[in-house]
Amino acid sequence: MTTILKLEHIQKYYGSEGSITQAIRDISFGVEQGEFLGIMGTSGSGKTTLLNCISTIDTVSAGHIYLEGTDVTALKPKSLARFRRENLGFVFQDFNLLDTLTISENIALALTINKVPARAVDSRVSDIAKKLNITDILHKYPYQVSGGQKQRCACARAIVNNPKLLLADEPTGALDSHSSQMLLSTMQSIHEQLHTTILMVTHDAFTASYADRILFLQDGKIFTELHKGTDSRTDFFHKILNVLTVMGGGQSHVY
Amino acid sequence: MYIKLIFKNAKRSARDYLVYIVTLTICATLFYSFLSVSSRYYKPDIGSDYKFTLLGDSMKLAICTVTLILLFLIWFVNNYMLRCRQKEFAVQAILGMEAKTIGRLFFAETFVMGICAVGLGIVLGVVSSQFVTAMLLTAYGKSYQPTWTFFPDTVLLTLFFFVLIFLVAGLFHMRTIQKTKVIDMLLADRENEPDLRKSHWIHVVVILFELFLLLMLVVGVEKLYFYYDSRYPFLVQTMFWGNILIPAAALVWSFVWLLRKIFSKSNVHFHTLLRGLILFCVPNTFIAASVPSLMHRYYLPLGIGTRNQYLLFVLVDLLFFLCGIIFLAGSFLLAWKEQSPTHKYHEENLFFFGQVISKLNTTSKTMTLVSITLVLAIFLFIAAPVLVNWAMGYLDSRSMYDIQIFSHYNNVHEESDLPHDDYGTVTKLLMDQGIETVYDCTFHLYLPEKKAFHNRMKYDFPAVAISLQDYNAIRCMLGLSEITLEENEFTTQWHAAATDDERRQFLETHQTVTTDAGLLRCAKQAYHQEPMGGTLYNSYTNVLYVFPDAACDTLLPVMQNRYLMTAKTIPYENAHSFEQEFTAVYPEETATGVHYGIRLRTLQVNETKGTCFVLQAAMLYGAIVLMVICLTVLSLQQLLDAGHYRYRFSVLRSLGVEESKIEKLVLKQLGVWFGLPVTAAIVVAVVVISYFMQTISVEISAYIGFPALLSQMGLTVGILVLLLICYFISTWILFRHSARLGTGNN
Repeated sequence: MTTILKLEHIQKYYGSEGSITQAIRDISFGVEQGEFLGIMGTSGSGKTTLLNCISTIDTVSAGHIYLEGTDVTALKPKSLARFRRENLGFVFQDFNLLDTLTISENIALALTINKVPARAVDSRVSDIAKKLNITDILHKYPYQVSGGQKQRCACARAIVNNPKLLLADEPTGALDSHSSQMLLSTMQSIHEQLHTTILMVTHDAFTASYADRILFLQDGKIFTELHKGTDSRTDFFHKILNVLTVMGGGQSHVY
Repeated sequence: MYIKLIFKNAKRSARDYLVYIVTLTICATLFYSFLSVSSRYYKPDIGSDYKFTLLGDSMKLAICTVTLILLFLIWFVNNYMLRCRQKEFAVQAILGMEAKTIGRLFFAETFVMGICAVGLGIVLGVVSSQFVTAMLLTAYGKSYQPTWTFFPDTVLLTLFFFVLIFLVAGLFHMRTIQKTKVIDMLLADRENEPDLRKSHWIHVVVILFELFLLLMLVVGVEKLYFYYDSRYPFLVQTMFWGNILIPAAALVWSFVWLLRKIFSKSNVHFHTLLRGLILFCVPNTFIAASVPSLMHRYYLPLGIGTRNQYLLFVLVDLLFFLCGIIFLAGSFLLAWKEQSPTHKYHEENLFFFGQVISKLNTTSKTMTLVSITLVLAIFLFIAAPVLVNWAMGYLDSRSMYDIQIFSHYNNVHEESDLPHDDYGTVTKLLMDQGIETVYDCTFHLYLPEKKAFHNRMKYDFPAVAISLQDYNAIRCMLGLSEITLEENEFTTQWHAAATDDERRQFLETHQTVTTDAGLLRCAKQAYHQEPMGGTLYNSYTNVLYVFPDAACDTLLPVMQNRYLMTAKTIPYENAHSFEQEFTAVYPEETATGVHYGIRLRTLQVNETKGTCFVLQAAMLYGAIVLMVICLTVLSLQQLLDAGHYRYRFSVLRSLGVEESKIEKLVLKQLGVWFGLPVTAAIVVAVVVISYFMQTISVEISAYIGFPALLSQMGLTVGILVLLLICYFISTWILFRHSARLGTGNN
């Protein structure tokens, strides 16, 4: 297995002298090719900040992030956009779909921005739609479909360019339990069938239980790490709850 | 605490509503500038020949009426602000603030912003009122001297008027806030997807247009029944039939569509009906427009009512065309997008199409209103100088003499009732008022043939004749050289409004003239066209015969005129009393049927210049106000939706689109948003103006001249382009700023 993403001593500070907030204190870890990594933590633990730094939306205060050997912290601002569209796929909590475009056009936009030839666009959209079971809603606008369908469309848009890394920020945050389950099954099949590397940030133990490995963050540092290994998802879920209990943030999940 | 909240909110909103505040300032500046003329402290040095106070009231009325249009803008902006701030109002309501208080706070906030803009406008108005004074003095032919005066009554009027407008709009919105439920306000910003369902306004427009087509068909049939003659030229026959067949065909098309809609199983779309009607609308416009032109060209006896009716039809056709085109613009773009995958899937085009189509679908009504208003603004801009120059040019040809006294015999039926007075009373009046004359000429105008005395049909009035001696006396009065005629010869004098064709045709068919004094032949110099005033000609004629004196002795004198030139210009007050005293002795309508009239240069110049100034000021003010309102609405529609755009551009950023491309998209989007209504308005305005020019081309060439008109139009277009560029650039800068705020907000 090769390491696709490597973080070395990442630090992130906010504010100015006198009132500095340390969002990330010192984090280092790696993500293997084809791995499904979950990042968990309570509010303010620094998980979204970490995701923003990896996705180049935010910059680090210290440390380096390597994606397939490229130091993304050293990239010039002008080349960041190109780096993002060629290497990363995003799934956000609030879907981030464009309300002016149909589901099909939302997916196609990711392709056209990447300068995919016009004749290949329709077939690639329909291929990915079949895989994610959204063919029936392709002609609809986002406001005409359910939250779960919107998120599956967002997934399709994120992976249609075959990104090296799929970043998901609380993907089930705005969904009901049934839609969450369907979306997570979809993500799992993306991971298993397309061998996509996924990095998912969540605070929900059930969602996290779909990952292969989980990093627990607390106060900007890695608290502990949990591997699924050969455990069933139920066992893994219980292990996650135990860690959360130890961290002091998971009581509400226990009782 | 509330006061602090009001000022803080106003300060915060000021940046978002910068364009609106600038527009209000411009309007207040113009309002003050133009109204300063009506101030009782305003005393420009225009001399005793003119009386200025007459102008003030008309000016006040005209400017205030035009300014009422601003009510729409203020209502529109406040409405938008209200929608954007609903969540904030909901929080205030949840905290326990009464709906009445929330409404008052909102009103106070908009009021503070408005009053600041009006205050600034008044200050700028003091400066710009100098331009109005300069414009006024130029109109009266005086030199301009800057006078820095502050007019307290105009300031009060400006404040009162704008406060009144703010109050009306404010009361409406306070009521809206009070009536809206807290839960609706709280959830308002969750509706972040635009409502893509179209409103039904276009259906109403189509129904009205169908009714209009029916009316046009009925009118067409009526005109054919009463006025059609198979001897008319082909063009006229086409006009008669076209005005029936085209509306009928459009109605048949609508009927077929309706039948298909009812009985066909396939989906029959409303757009099909609309596209067909637009296609019919084009020939319909041309055929309706041909009626006034052909009436003028072939002297068709359809009457002025018919002409006005068809001018109205042209206007309705153009308005429908504009409505239809803008409504369908979205679907045209959608069809083009679907048929051209290469364009559709080219880089960020999908995003661009989505932006434009969704905006067109949801705001086509506003776009149409903006376009129609722009057409009106452009028309006012162009028509103002045309009409003013026409009136001023006509003034020169009307007021050639200091005093003109004239008579008409249109209602005289007995020869014995014809005027034989030498206007002796006038001589006495002149002496009483101490008016010294330099030239004085009393003369008759004769009928070449006595038998034409009873020809009273409009196009049948005979041209009258003047004796050579009288004609030369008048020429001498105007500083022109005398002419000579051989015995049994005649020549002609032409009105400025006569066309070359008209003159040529007349002279070709009038090489000799049969008179009661025998046959006269045309002189070598067959015509003279130096302007000599309009009262020298018989009603509805543009030509005057000049006969040898001996011939005139035997002709029937039907009109008697007296022209005078005074040593000094008659002061306004004297002229006014002179006119009154003359009218008392020689009324317009007399028992014998003779119609008397008097024109004093002082009164004519005063009245015409005053009216022209008010007309020009009101039209230019109206045009600028309409123009800035349209541009403000276009600008604010983009800026106030910044929330949506921030979100959409942030999605693009997260998808890896470079800032430079986002900038290009912003520019393209604004280009379409400003370009579409402006282009549509320009196209329709060009049609309307060309038609207007063609209708009055004779008057333009007679009184204004095409080069002078083109330079005026150039200036107008320059102002329009400048305003458009200013609003476009400021919107672009503010929009970029709003779009950039989204960076990092993911």
